[in-house]
Parts: sequence; C-alpha cells; structure tokens
Amino acid sequence: MQELDTVIELSRTQFAATALYHYLFVPLTLGLSVLLATMETIYVITGRDIYRQMTHFWSKLFAINFALGVATGLTMEFEFGTNWSTYSHFVGDIFGAPLAIEGLMAFFLESTFVGLMLFGWGKLSRGKHLLVTYMVALGSNLSALWILVANGYMQNPVGSVFNPDTMRMELTSLPDLIFSPEAQAKFVHTSIAGYVTAAIFVVGISSFYLLRRRHIELAKRSFRVAALFGVFATVGVISLGDALGFINGSAQPTKLAAMEGLWETAEAPAGFNLIAWPNQEEKRNDFELQVPYLLTPLVTHTFDESIPGVSDLEVDAEAKIRDGIPALTALQTLRENPDDAEARATFEAHQDNLGYALLVQRYVEDVSQATDAQIAKAAADTIPPVAPVFWSFRVMVVTAFLMMAFLILAVIYSLRNTLHRHNWFLRLAPWMIPVPFIANEAGWIVAELGRQPWTVYGQLPTWLSASTHSVGYMIFSLVGFVLLYTLFIVIEMYLMVKFIRLGPSEDTHVPQTEPTQRHSSQWSEA
Amino acid sequence: MKHVLIFLFWLFVAVVAISLTIVLGERGAWYFAWVLGTVMIVLIAAAGTAVIDARYDEHHDDQY
Ligand code: HEM
Repeated sequence: MQELDTVIELSRTQFAATALYHYLFVPLTLGLSVLLATMETIYVITGRDIYRQMTHFWSKLFAINFALGVATGLTMEFEFGTNWSTYSHFVGDIFGAPLAIEGLMAFFLESTFVGLMLFGWGKLSRGKHLLVTYMVALGSNLSALWILVANGYMQNPVGSVFNPDTMRMELTSLPDLIFSPEAQAKFVHTSIAGYVTAAIFVVGISSFYLLRRRHIELAKRSFRVAALFGVFATVGVISLGDALGFINGSAQPTKLAAMEGLWETAEAPAGFNLIAWPNQEEKRNDFELQVPYLLTPLVTHTFDESIPGVSDLEVDAEAKIRDGIPALTALQTLRENPDDAEARATFEAHQDNLGYALLVQRYVEDVSQATDAQIAKAAADTIPPVAPVFWSFRVMVVTAFLMMAFLILAVIYSLRNTLHRHNWFLRLAPWMIPVPFIANEAGWIVAELGRQPWTVYGQLPTWLSASTHSVGYMIFSLVGFVLLYTLFIVIEMYLMVKFIRLGPSEDTHVPQTEPTQRHSSQWSEA
Repeated sequence: MKHVLIFLFWLFVAVVAISLTIVLGERGAWYFAWVLGTVMIVLIAAAGTAVIDARYDEHHDDQY
C-alpha cells in the first residue's frame, strides 16, 4: 500500500509539474493570437504600414512561444495513457473524442495556419493573410476548447453513465458534455485569461521600449491596442471567474468550502474571509479577517442561502459512502456473474454513490467490512487540502483586480497621450508581465487541487486512477521531464529576450503584403 | 488629481459592468458570450487605436 501511495503521489507530482510548465506557454498563445488579429485588422483597414510591422514583430514572439507550447503539451497527452491508465480506461469513451479533436485542431488547423501566417507575408493578399491570422486565433482557442470540455467533465461529470459490464463511463449525450455549464464557463474564463496575459505582455514590452525611447512609433501603438484589448478582457475574466465559483457551489461544494476556508456551514449573511490561516488538522482557521455580509451574495447570488462547510460536507460524504457500499459489493458479484438479477438491482439502486464507496476501499479491501473509523477517514478525504486552494484562489482574485486597475490606468494615459509624463508607469509595466502567469498557474491549482480526492468528481478517486509503475520508473521520468521542461523555459526566455532586444527594426525588410493580382502582374511583366 | 478621478470613475464603471454580467449570467450561454465578447473586444481595440491615431498627430515622437 505504501509503494502504491508513493507511485500515486509521484504520478500526481509529475502531472502537476508538466501541466504547470506547459501552462506557462499556453495563455500567451491563446491571447496573443487574437491580439495579432486585432493589430492586423487595423493594418488592413487603415493601410498604414506601421501596423503591418507591429503584427510581424509580435508574431515572431508568438511563434517562439507557440513552438515551445506545443512541445510541452505533447507529453501530457501521452501521460494520460502511461501514468493514468485506469483513469484512461474509465473515461476513455468520453475523453477520447474531445482529446482527438484537440489534437487535430492543434496540429492541423492551428499549426498549418501558423506556418501560413509567419511565412505568408508578401505571398498572400492582405485580406487572405488577415483571414489566416484569424484562423490561427480561432484554431488555438478551439483546440483549448476541447481540452477544457474534457476537464469540465472531470469537474462535473455530465452526459454519461457508468456501465457495470465494461467497468467504464459511457457517453450518453455529447451536447450535455460540450454544453455543460462547467465546460462553457471554464473555456471562456481560460480563453479570456489568455487575452489578459497577452495584453499585459505587450503593454510591458512596449513600455520597455518607450522608456528607452526606442521604436516609439510601434511601441506606443502596440501599447494602446493592447491596453484597450486587455481592459475589456479583465472585466470578462472576473465575470467568468464569478460564474465558475457559482457553478462550483452546486457541482463541487467541497472545492468551494476549501476556496473560502469554510469549516462550518455559513448561514446567511456570511462574511467573506479576506485572509485566513486554514488549519486542516483541527478543522478551523487559526486566524481570519472577514468582510461582513459579502460571501453569501458573492457565492450564491442570493441574500438568504447558506453555504455548506467542511463539517457538514463530511457528514454528507459519510452517508454517501454508506449508500455506495452495497453498489460496490453488488458490482463485485456482477463481475463474477453478470446474470445475477438481485445484484444488478442492488447496483442500480445505489450506483449514484459508487465512487464514494471506492474511497473507502483505500482502507479496506472488502468494503462491506468497513468500520466506522475507516468510513470517517474516507469521508475526511473528500475535503481537498484547504490552505493551498484557499490561497491560490486569493492570489488569482487579487492579481485580477490589480491587472484591471493597471490596464484602466494604461488606457487613460495612452488615450490621453500622456504616457511620456508617467515614467513611473512605464517602469512598472515590465514588472507586471509575470502577474498574469502567476494568476493562470494559481487558477489551475484551484481547479485541480480543489477537485481532490477525485480525478472525476464523485466517480473515480485519484488513488485508483494511476498506473502501476515502479517508484524508480516514476522518479526517473519525473526528473527527466523537470530537466527537459526547465531547458525549454530557459530556451524560451533566451529567445524572447534576444528578439525583444533586437526589436522590430530588423523587420523593415519584410515584404509588404499586396493584393494577389499585383503579384501575378509582376510575374507576367517579368 | 484629475487622473485619479478619471481612474476612479472608470474603475467604478468596470465594477458596475462586472456586477451586471454577474446578475445577468449565472449559467449563461457562455460560448455565445465568448464569440460576441471577442468580436467586441477586437473591434473596440482596433477602432479605438485607429481613431486615436487619426486624432493626434502621430509624427510627434516625443508624445505618446
Ligand atoms: C476575481 C477574479 C477571478 C475569479 C473569481 C476566478 C475564479 C476561478 C475559479 C473558481 C476557478 C476554478 C474553476 C474550477 O473549479 O474548475 C478558476 C480557474 C482558473 N482561473 Fe480564475 N478567477 C479569477 C481571475 C483569474 C485571472 C485574472 C486569471 C488569469 C489571468 C485566471 C485564470 C484561471 C485559470 C487558468 C484557471 C484554470 C482553468 C479553469 O478552471 O478555467 N483567473 N478561476
């Protein structure tokens, strides 16, 4: 059992590490592609060459980030099969389609158009090139859509049913899966978080140029378009963040309790824990600073609903475990004799809580023999680690409002043409670049750590999901990934800094994109 | 001081906008909202930048 626990912890660490590394690249791709389309739209409408130079310069940084993002993402798709084989078997029927579409979108639609976007200058007409840039933006966001649909399913498994004969979840409704509230809000929150990331990135680098009085023509326009783009995006990301919190209230109450540091059920009107030191062992906050009345409307969108805390959720989980135990014992009977009608009837009556019975199997092989203490232990397991979820959530929220205030100021200064009088702002802006990246990483910690102890909420516990590798194998691959991915990050930083230092002045030789007819006439003249 | 007031005004507008979306869209048709919102963000950012470009004489490099 100890070896199994170590393998599971190592598998989790490996997935968390690769996902967090990978996610250092993704948001910039999602957002910068749309921002590039915006810049190129201005070029096509106004015909001013500076906007072509702008699009071309930022697309070089986009390309570096895109290449490394794809490289780091590839391994994750394989990890599902290698390290999480039980999980892959369990949800393969549901996960397979979105993941395959994601792969197709990323590698065919997106990559093909990225190539055309980068090398199509001067070869495609303006309109066609703009269309290509829009396809890159659409392709990158649509490929994110499918992986987020799959992740939405892990948070809130809808549109499927467990089949005791195949021992896996089977899809019952594709529209339910794709249009689940969790998937919808998750996609939009994540995509727009990418917009915010790109906006802060472009504003930061443009400020660096403006401060040094280099490439001013390009930098001031890049600054302006990114600030305008970003300010609307921050409003969107906060609105969708609220929607996700609201959805969690019904779909994942344990995650919500951890996000808000709620040990006891909060009767309306409950205060919002601005700061707290959650103490998981003693199930209380050692310290808390509250804003009175705020939590109830924030989370429930009403003034009178209560929000369940950890203690009540554990009682609830105990009841579900007890209810699920007959389903698990019946399932074991069915595996030996699929025609046992009594076992099937018992299974069907209790199958909603089968997943909860699997939690207690971690402590006792024959769950029908589970003691009260073992059931209580399994019920306590349903609560995710509160402190990291609580604090990651706060980091995300604080950075959101910080970025919103920053971008509002950026828009005001830029639209009033007074940036040159606010050097302090230009100096601050490059330091803001890491902030959205921190917010994005914090967001994934809330989403994934907050879902524990489940890989598929309420259905499949994490402890059952991993493959049965040896500890040595897991340590070897973990170290390998960490070294490789660190190298990728170093390469990205090196290339980014190199191209930012070089600046757009190297770009002037780029052929101006002209209508195709002109090219053909040039050919015929020749 | 003027800038601070303008900043506070727009901060207030942003908070009102967020509150409105929260009230209007608990379980909204978010995919649809994403399409509309993205088009809106792109158009406003593009139009805003182009209009400011036309308004100020952008050849004065010392002003931005
Ligand atoms: C007030 C502001 C915000 C709130 C209330 C909020 C809320 C949330 C919540 C509740 C989740 C967990 C979703 C789940 O359980 O599956 C989440 C995830 C996430 N958030 Fe935020 N968020 C905010 C701002 C931001 C910002 C500014 C960024 C980045 C720029 C960001 C990026 C993410 C990411 C990448 C995830 C993981 C993917 C996902 O679940 O959508 N969030 N956010």
